[in-house]
Amino acid sequence: MGKTVLIVDDSNTMRKIVSRSLRQAGIDFDQILEAGDGQEALDVLAANKVDVVLSDINMPNMTGLEFLKAKAEDNAIKDIPVIMISTETGADIIDEAKSYGAKGAIKKPFTPDLINETLGPLL
Amino acid sequence: MEFAKKIVETTEEIFNTMIFMEISADAPLEQGKQALGCHISAMIGLTGGFSAMLGIHCPEAIGLAISGAMLGMEIEEIDADVKDALGEIANMVAGGLKERFAAENIDLELAIPTAISGKSYTIASSTRSNRVIIPFSIEQGQFFIEMKYNLN
Repeated sequence: MGKTVLIVDDSNTMRKIVSRSLRQAGIDFDQILEAGDGQEALDVLAANKVDVVLSDINMPNMTGLEFLKAKAEDNAIKDIPVIMISTETGADIIDEAKSYGAKGAIKKPFTPDLINETLGPLL
Repeated sequence: MEFAKKIVETTEEIFNTMIFMEISADAPLEQGKQALGCHISAMIGLTGGFSAMLGIHCPEAIGLAISGAMLGMEIEEIDADVKDALGEIANMVAGGLKERFAAENIDLELAIPTAISGKSYTIASSTRSNRVIIPFSIEQGQFFIEMKYNLN
């Protein structure tokens, strides 16, 4: 069965760029799902089998960190790996994200190679 | 604090790695009222070690060219996608500035970007604000990145 990725970002542009960068990185997902904030991401995870999540941090309604906290408390989805993709990659924010289970972080702007390096080991 | 240098560095990084457009920075504009002749602007606030509003201002054709390059498609009019794309550039420039100022122990927090468009608008701020405007040139013409800031 093919793999599914969920891209979480309030920017439609950035979701498209991440999706394009995955293809350019040679990472082939059978299904790419999208969500516009943390709450939408939780809804998508509740309704779909997802292998990995790429999530922004600064989002309205529910931020990336709030999404990680909520996900960590749900046994059904807590083990799905999450990589943060954000302009916010200061050590304090990334440490906080990792304390809630994030597996890594990619700083915007990013290259397809960086996506490959960070995401590849999780697949 | 080298605002102009930091803005140029982070903007060039964004265009080289994610937009794939050749870009060159021109000399910062002189202080004072400037008529930039732009049709779309995206702005983001920064607070912390200093407070600032960073904006990217584009004539219509330039905004369409940049957002089209980001999205990998031709765009014919200013719409939500164009505003979203320019907002994301403002967000990434602000993020690059945050990182560069953090290296100097100046911590900043970013707001959520917003964008406006129209045939004629002005953006007002405190007359006591300091102001830096950097023109950037791409093949299709020129756009501007502006930073108004108040040192705390």
